[in-house]
This record gives sequence, structure tokens and C-alpha cells, in this order.
Amino acid sequence: MNVSIKQLIRFHVTGENADEQQMDDRGLRPALLAPYRDLTSLRYDYPLILVQGEREETSVRSLSSIVDELLQETAPHGIEGERMRKHCFRLETRIRALATRQVQGSLAELWDIAALELVSESDEETAWSLTKELNHARQRVPANGTVVDCDEKVTSVLLEHLWRRTYRARSHDALKRLDQLSAQLSQILEADFQTTRAARTPESLKGSMGAGVDDTFDFVALSDMLEKGARNSSVTERRRQRISAALAALQAQPFFVPESEGQNESDDGAARDFVFSSCTDAWHAFEAHTPAKIELLKAIATAELEIDNRYDESEHDELLAGFSEASLTQEDLDFFPSYLICMHIEACQGSEKAKLIELLCSGLPMKVLVETDDILAEPSLCEGQFTFGARSQQLATMTIGLNNAFVLQTTSSCLYQTRDRIECGLTYEGPALFSVYAGSHTNITDLPRYLTAASATQSRAFPTFTYDPALGADQATRFDVDDNPQAQTDWPLQNLAYEDEDLQRVSQDITFTFVEFAACDTRYARFFATVANQGSEDVLVPCGEYVTSSEGENGNKVPFVLMVDAEDVLQTCIVDDKLIQAARRCREMWHSLQELGGIHNSHAMRLLELERNEWEQEKEREIEQLKLQADTAPIEPGDQPIVDQVSAPPQDAPAADPEPVPEEPPSSDEAYIETPRCTTCDECTDLNGKLFAYDENKQAYIADITAGSYRELVEAAEICQVAIIHPGKPLNQAEVGLSDLIERAEEFS
Amino acid sequence: MSVSAPRCLLWSNDEPVVLDDYVSEEPRWCTGCGDLAILAAVQRLCRDEQLAREKIVFVSGIGCSSRFPHYMNTYGFHGLHGRALPVAEGIRIKRPDLHVFVNTGDGDCCSIGAAHWIHAIRYNMNMTVLLHDNEIYGLTKKQVSPTSPKGLASNTTPRGAYLDSLNPMETTLGVANVSFAAQAVDWAPGLLYDIISKAYKHPGCSFVRVLQRCPEYLPEHFDHWMDDPDQLLLLTHEDGMQVTPDLARIYKQQEIHDPMDLNRAREIASMKDRIPVGILYRNEQVPCYEDVLNPAGLFTPEVVRTNIEAELDKFTVWPAS
Repeated sequence: MNVSIKQLIRFHVTGENADEQQMDDRGLRPALLAPYRDLTSLRYDYPLILVQGEREETSVRSLSSIVDELLQETAPHGIEGERMRKHCFRLETRIRALATRQVQGSLAELWDIAALELVSESDEETAWSLTKELNHARQRVPANGTVVDCDEKVTSVLLEHLWRRTYRARSHDALKRLDQLSAQLSQILEADFQTTRAARTPESLKGSMGAGVDDTFDFVALSDMLEKGARNSSVTERRRQRISAALAALQAQPFFVPESEGQNESDDGAARDFVFSSCTDAWHAFEAHTPAKIELLKAIATAELEIDNRYDESEHDELLAGFSEASLTQEDLDFFPSYLICMHIEACQGSEKAKLIELLCSGLPMKVLVETDDILAEPSLCEGQFTFGARSQQLATMTIGLNNAFVLQTTSSCLYQTRDRIECGLTYEGPALFSVYAGSHTNITDLPRYLTAASATQSRAFPTFTYDPALGADQATRFDVDDNPQAQTDWPLQNLAYEDEDLQRVSQDITFTFVEFAACDTRYARFFATVANQGSEDVLVPCGEYVTSSEGENGNKVPFVLMVDAEDVLQTCIVDDKLIQAARRCREMWHSLQELGGIHNSHAMRLLELERNEWEQEKEREIEQLKLQADTAPIEPGDQPIVDQVSAPPQDAPAADPEPVPEEPPSSDEAYIETPRCTTCDECTDLNGKLFAYDENKQAYIADITAGSYRELVEAAEICQVAIIHPGKPLNQAEVGLSDLIERAEEFS
Repeated sequence: MSVSAPRCLLWSNDEPVVLDDYVSEEPRWCTGCGDLAILAAVQRLCRDEQLAREKIVFVSGIGCSSRFPHYMNTYGFHGLHGRALPVAEGIRIKRPDLHVFVNTGDGDCCSIGAAHWIHAIRYNMNMTVLLHDNEIYGLTKKQVSPTSPKGLASNTTPRGAYLDSLNPMETTLGVANVSFAAQAVDWAPGLLYDIISKAYKHPGCSFVRVLQRCPEYLPEHFDHWMDDPDQLLLLTHEDGMQVTPDLARIYKQQEIHDPMDLNRAREIASMKDRIPVGILYRNEQVPCYEDVLNPAGLFTPEVVRTNIEAELDKFTVWPAS
């Protein structure tokens, strides 16, 4: 072994080697991230548009999808359309750049700013056509809303936006129901009042006619006439008080407010009472709201009973009096708005963490967002031991164990793809946990937050998964890891194309592992060292390959990752073994998630193996048996060898559920009716209502065979239009004309 | 799924309803009439769904089938000829808490009430419309109806009907906003029940044409179809109707038909050699008129009074002071 290779191995094992250049001051980044230096020129998910307006089908859209729809709808075919596309794509890039620079505003506002910038940069002739095209397009933009980029606030802003949408939908439905109940209760009181003497006084009658009648009517005379038909109120005083109290409770409820025109999300007063930054505050708010919720539910119950005139004082008074917090069901809680808690993982410590667990266990509609922006922090106990998001991942995986909580773990780069899942979590009737890695800016070389978050997903350092108890009862239905890139593999394989030293194109597939992700973090630069390739090709092994091989196989090999510097020059960096150990742990954690998601499930594979062995053993036995038989029987020419016949796998897999066997009809000696086919035509029951009767579905059957003659059975069979009566053989052999009847009955047997 | 506590209170003194609770009086239809099968299926549906009798209403026009509301122990409205649908729409608007069934015959719906029929389909208000189609006017003793086949001899067409018949399924499927169209026959009660049940559960105007026998005036009219189960084509689908093994043994002619496929539904509706039975079309995404209307608030008497006053004020001429 030459000296330089020894040095490489020494660095890999100990992390010490003065001769190799450590990469902390070189601004290196993984080679697969080289094309993404300027995200503003790329068409990707960000910025997002938080669409305003309840009528919009989607509440979150990407800028690119809006521009695409706009162009599809408005850009004509041909050169004019091409020009419009070009202008709109330029504008899209400019809006993206504005969003990256944290310019706040709606899409319409940023559109105007970007358009102004583009026009001011153009010459006079281009400016005119640009202005015209962009104005034309501006009027047809299919959606408007706040523009948000992938920054530190995006997750909480997006979640709150989606939560407010669910709040408004719930509020709309609830208010509709409450208003209807209020109106119907008022009508009971109003209708009763109209029958009373008080409603027939001249003043009351005059008031009911409205303005403008003056002396046209003699209300005194009218009152005298109507007085004769008046009666006392039929609504008892107790009932009136009950209805009035229910009405007051329905109208004074504090949970839902009608939406007003042009209302901003931030103005949503009642909604603000349900958004918190700590679990303790949310818990206190829930406790404070409970008495009012119980009162409202009691008022709803009273109103529904009163409207249907089914309120029974002897029964319902007691039931309603005993209605308490313990009586609240999941459906009752689901009627009210859910509680949204947005917090950072750092705030989720000690008592707050205990409260969070309590909330998630409670089954209450608490929607908790826990954000983290550092998943590579080293624990203080021991240098070089990485947690890779263990704190937040642990929270998410532990919550799955609670069984009744919705869990979504994702990164901010996947928010747009997982928006439907977020909405599922928000509308789920129980608690929901959203654990999100928001990407990091600190300790990262020069990567935008979006790329850091995306790298965490790609490298399995922070995989995406969903656990949705609403989908079904079993793990296979509830748990899903399919949102991860190439979820079947350890790490996604990506193609890297570059120019080598001889200016020749080289293309190779490489994995993006945890080591590549750690390489983005300046805190771990000391675990990498750049080396020259010459002379060490036999020793260097790609990191993905090294991690997946056993330690014995690797021998005197040294793992490396491909990086690029600021000038996009490819660098080979060898890796300290500590990071390799961390990558192996990361892979094991990913395997656990894969198993939960049904990928390479060890239980299933073990069962499969067991089944296969049993099948093979059974076939072996059959082959042995057939061989013994074959020894004693002559073989016909052209016969397939018996062994092949037996060992050949079955052509079709056996059906999982055999078709249910239809019920066989009774024997032809017994009289019967095919009851399910009876059309209730009354023919047979009119003939003999004791012999034939209808069952609980109003379909005929033979109720009492002794209640009629064989002749009636045969005649009923003959007049039955759907021919479902089968007379069978006669019971009474002494009946007159039996031979003729038996002959007539033949065709119905 | 837990049950709402207020609902528990509502149920606390409710007794289970049996089929006989929906029976009001002995039907006066002729023995063997197909209307009896439809009545039995509807009563069975009400029992199985445990519908509160005061929460359903049957609306009809004029004709044999329109006697239907008399035989249901629920709310009923035996209305004017051809006007069952507008009455039903009015009820639906004012009493959204009621489930509305409409029973109409081939004359009532497809002739005098045809305009209402077209617009009821278009408005797609949440109701279940049962077209009792015996292809003859029975109540007035055998006159040709719009669905009578060409050549059918009747009292008004002794030399046979002159025109090709109107196909109610083709017509319905041609109307904008159609959301549910199904066809059943009275002599397959299991299928009839299943189809009516699915129609009841559909959120929108569910139109079911039931081919039914008239034993008095066309006693052998459907024999050709009834005697041979292969004359029926069962439309099955995981999102539509599924048949039991017993029925599958009888009705062997089946087609897997996606109820969302409108074009295929139209092709099936126009079949002449077989009677398609099942759900031809179902689209729950078609909005209901009452939901589209979606008033911002309730039209309470105060709101109505204020609105009328505001309108009248526009035309008020105030006397010069």
C-alpha cells in the first residue's frame, strides 16, 4: 500500500490528516445540486399563491401552474401566442425573483411591480407590445392571492391559510344550520302569537299592514271582528321560556361569525380565538370554550325536538339537565372549529412537550404544527454522533403509536405536493400532527432553504410520510411513504452528467445519500477532505455503494462523494467513518418506515418464504409419489413428464374470495315460491290469503300449505305472471282430479 | 364514528318503524298491476332507511300511478295532470328537510308534463322521480301514450300507433345537468328495490323509469321480455349496481358499465333489442339548484318584508311638501 492511500484510509478512520485539504472554506456543494445555483430561473413549485375566495377549488397553487393555465386559456396559436408565452415566462421569473427578495404582496401586486420593471428595462418599441400583452394577460389571471416563497414562515402561513379555509367552510355550514333552527323556533313563537288576542288589537293589526294605509282600514272594527276567533296561547309558558332560551343561545353563540364581503383572513375575529402558539394556551382555551359549547349543543337539541314537536318534558328535561362535558361525542366536537397550534421544536420542551402528547392522546380536534430547521444538530453528550432530526422524527413516529391521530411528516419543499394531505389532516375529526422540516439557512454554505429541505427528503434524513386513521382500520391503508422520491430504494438514484479532464461528456448515476446532505452543512466540513483522483481509483468507492456494503466487503476502501466548488469544478471528497455510521443509521430508520409502508416488509417476506418452502416440500413429496407410480406404469409417447406437470406453477392464482354458490331450489316434491322474485301483484293472495301471504318485504311465500288445496296451488302457479310458484307434489292424495292437476303442475316443477 | 349527543336525545323516544307503518290503505290498482311492485319496493325502502313518515312526501299528477300517495302513510300531494314536478320543486324549496318522491306516469310525465320534466332534470333538485311507464293510458281505458310502441292498437289508434315511441331514457340523458338516470322493470323486484334505493341516496334529481305491466289493457305486452330473462341487460359496476349470485344465475346478460360514462349511457338507452336495467348515469358532482341558489341568509318574514319595502320605495312618489 503506498503512502498516499494510507493517508486516505487514515483520514477515513480517524478524521485526521494534515495533508488533505478539508473543505470548510471551499464553498463546496454536492455535485447533484450544481445545476440549482439560481432557483429564480427555474420553474418549480415556489413561490406559492395562497388563493383567496371560497369558490376556488384549490386553495394553494404554484405560480407556474397559474401561468400555465393562463397561457393555455389565452395565448393563441402561432407567433402571437409565442410572443405572449415569452413575455409571461419572463414575468414569472421576475415575480419569482421578487418573492425570493421577500417582497410582500398579492400576485396581482407583484405582477404589477414585475411588469413595471420589465417595461422600464425594454426599448420603446418592445415596451409598447410588452405592456399590451401583459395587461391583456393580467386581466385573465385565473387566481389571485398572497405570494409566499420558501422561507422560514411558509409552513405556518400555509397551514394557517388552509386551516382558515376549513374554519370558514365549517362556519358556513354551522351558521346555516343555526339560522334555520332560529328561524323555525321564531316561527313557532310568531305563529302562536298570531292566534292570541294580543295580535288582534287595532295597533297590532295596523302594524302588520305596514306603512301607507292610514285611514283606508278601520282597524278597530277589524279587531272587533277578529276578536271572536281569538284564543289563548296554545304554547305553555314553560315551553315558551324553553324556546326563547334556546333561541337566545343559538343567536349568541361565539364560535362562528358570518363572513362579510371583502374580509381579510387576518380580520377573521372568531377564527383568531382558535389559533395558538403553545399547547398550554390551546388547552386552556378549549377548557374555557367547553361550557358555551355544551349550552349551544343543548340549545340545538332543544330546537330540533321543539321543531319536530317531539319535546317530552318528562323525558327530555332530565336528559338535557344531565348533559355535560362527559356527554360530548366526537361528532359534537367536530361541529365546532378545530384548534390550530403552530410551534417550533425548540418551544416543544418540558411541560409543553408533555401537554402536546396529552393533546394528541385526547382525541380532541387539535391541529399541531411542529417546525424544525435543524436536523443535523450534534448532541452535546458526544461529538460526532448525529441526531438527524431524531427529535422531530421521534415525535411523528411516536404519535403514530397513539393510533387515533393523523400524522404528516414532510419538508417545506414538499408542501405543495402534500397540500391535499394537509387538508385531510385539518378536516380529520381527531388530533393531527404536522411535523415539518423547514430547511435551514444557518450552517449551510450557500444553498437556499428550498434546496436544503429538498435534500433532506432526497437523502432520507427527513422522509415524508402520512398516517391517516380516517382511511381505514389497518396499517397498510393508513400509512403511506409513497411521497418520497423512489420510495422502493435506499436512496434515490440521479443522473449526473459532466465534462471530464479531456473535455469528454461523462454520464453516471449516483445516489444522494445522507452523507451528501451532511456535506451541505458547514459544521460537518471537517468530516470531508478533497483528494486528487490519480492513483487512488482502486481504493475510492462511491459513498452510496460503501454504505450499503457490509464492513467486511469494504476492506481497505475509502468512501467518497462528488462535490463541486463555486466554479462548478468537480471535486472528490473522502468521508470520515463517523458520517458513514450516521448514514447507516439513517438507512436503518428509513427501512423501518419502508416496512411500515409495506415496502420490503420483513413479516410479509418471512411469510412468503415460509409458504414457498411449504409449497416446495409438498411438491417434492408429490414428485416422489408420482415417481414411484411411474416406475410401475408404462409411459405413453408424447406425454409430458409427470415431474414437470407437478412442479409447474399454477397458471392462474387462486381467487381470493370464491364466488358464493347460489342457493339450490328445494326438491320438486315440495311446494315453494321464489319469494325474492315476487312482484307483490296480489294474484296469489287474492286467490287464497291463508295459503299465500306476504313476508316483511311484502313478497309472497307459502304461509300454510294445509290452508288450501293442491288445485289452488296449481291455479296460483298458472296465473302468476312471473312464474315463481312451484306447486310440487300434492299432499292430499285423495283430492279430486289429481291426475289432471299433476299434469298441469308439471311445467312449474 | 360516534353519534351526536343531541341526536341521541332525538332518538330517545323513537320506536323502530316497520313496513306496515307506511301502509295507509288497500291499493285500488288492478290485481297484477306493476304499480304494486313499485309500491312494495318503496315501502321496503322507507322501512330499511327508517324514514320518519313526517319527513317524506309523495307527489303525483294524474293517472293510475298517481294514486301512489294515497297508499303511503306519509305526506302526499295528488296534484294536477302533468304538474307533479313543479309541485315537488316548490315543496323542495320551502321544506328542504323533507325528502321528496315523485310518482308520475308515462302520460303525466312524457306528454302533458313534458316541459316540466325537462326542466326538473335540468334544475337537478334533490328528489326521487319514479316514472311508472306501462306504455298505455290505463286510467282512461287504453289510449295510446307517448311511450306506446309504433303499431300498438289502442282505443285512439285502432289501426296501430302511427309514430315511433318516445324513449324517456334517451330524453333524460339528453338534458343538461342530468345527474341520475336509471331503468328498472317491475318483474325483477330485487333489482327494482336496489335501483330505487340508489336513486333515493343520490344527491340530486334521480330519475328512474320503471317499465310496468298493465294486466287490464295490455296483458301480454311485456310477456316477450318477461318470459326470457336474457332479454334484460343488467348494468353492473362497482360504483353502480351489483347483482347477487342468485340474480346473476337468472339474468345472464350483463355489462359492466361505468355510471359516469354519459356517452355509453346514451348508447345503452337507445338499445332496442334488450331492456337495459340498472344505473345508466350517475354524477354526484352536478350541483343541485337549491345549493346553487345558495341565498346568503334565510328568507325570514323580516327579511322578505324589508326587501319588499326596499323595492317598493324605489317607486314611491313622495308628495311635495
